[in-house]
Amino acid sequence: MKKNKEKIPPAVKLNYSKGDLIIKAGDYGISIYEIISGKVGMFIESGGAEIQVAILGPGGLVGEMAFISGNTSPRSASARALEDCCLEVWHPLMLMNDYKQMPDVLRSIAGQALKFITRMNKVVVELSLKQENLEYGQIYAGYDPHEDKRKFYRKKVNLECVFRPVNSPKDLKLPGRIRDFSKGGLGMTVKTSDLPNYLLVSGDKIFISTYIKLDQKVSMTAKILWLKKDKTDGAISFGAVFTHMEPEDRKRLGFFLMA
Amino acid sequence: MTVDSQVIGYMVSEERFSDKAVILKEGSIGDWVYVILEGRVKIKKQTSRGLLTVDTLSEGNFLGEMAMLKQSNSTRSASAIADGPVVLGVLDSVRLLQEWEAQPARIKKLISNLIQNLEETTNKAVDMIVASKEIKLT
Repeated sequence: MKKNKEKIPPAVKLNYSKGDLIIKAGDYGISIYEIISGKVGMFIESGGAEIQVAILGPGGLVGEMAFISGNTSPRSASARALEDCCLEVWHPLMLMNDYKQMPDVLRSIAGQALKFITRMNKVVVELSLKQENLEYGQIYAGYDPHEDKRKFYRKKVNLECVFRPVNSPKDLKLPGRIRDFSKGGLGMTVKTSDLPNYLLVSGDKIFISTYIKLDQKVSMTAKILWLKKDKTDGAISFGAVFTHMEPEDRKRLGFFLMA
Repeated sequence: MTVDSQVIGYMVSEERFSDKAVILKEGSIGDWVYVILEGRVKIKKQTSRGLLTVDTLSEGNFLGEMAMLKQSNSTRSASAIADGPVVLGVLDSVRLLQEWEAQPARIKKLISNLIQNLEETTNKAVDMIVASKEIKLT
């Protein structure tokens, strides 16, 4: 124990001026920061806009999500000093042993909390973008620089389909409409009134099935990449990439795309 | 997701709930922690426009852990409602709490901070969903 302690860098205090960036989303940082004084804002960048998802004050921690995820994923949000701040920086090694020795139950609970925060942050970001009345085309362009190129390969369709989120009851059938197909994914529209209990966010996986001809059923699993308000009132449209399709279904869809 | 054998070791009893039964009520006081053994549970928040489902949990997920790990109080931050028949494992909350209390200060801070963030983010998301007219609640 004592040997270990010698190797672990001690906690250091750092001062930040108002406006300073403390951590940047997308970076692979490993330190955890405890706020000693001042206020820190957490931001998620999306489509060129910075969306504030939280304000933290003294006692709050910054950068703990990367640690809990095992430092395998990049920073999910940026942290910026909203006023002059003093932060104490913890090296992850200070916590690693203790964290590993923690009962599995507590670690699983932390993992569950982390997943849920990530999901709720997405909701906040997506709704913020809507409220700011940004052009969805711009946001989408931000997400996907190949949009224009890919449009070319898209086949416009108008197919009724049923879908359900992957973790929903098997007998659930939400009605939707497929608007276009491409080799790698599809675009859909859904009436919001048909989604009474389900809130879709990007990253959600869904099962979709449709009939491309009278007797040709095609089923697939897809992951939602983006969502936006549709031109028609009370509807949303979203784009998704295929994550799974049986070879038979792929063949059917292939012929359909060529036709 | 399956239930971890370590978690099973904490179980003191099993409880069964029928479809739509209220397992936890938002705002009530309680510190029992559960693990879902079978079925699905909807997590709902009370809003000015009615109940909003914020998550659906299934086998292996925990229920009621937030009240235990929060520093402030032990009121339930959301309601948990059975979505079809549900079997829950009731965990030994005394043992769990003892183990939790025995954790080093920085670990406790790490987890309770995470739980607090979770609550704040959820409240923020819920407020925004309620304010957005596009999403219909039930």
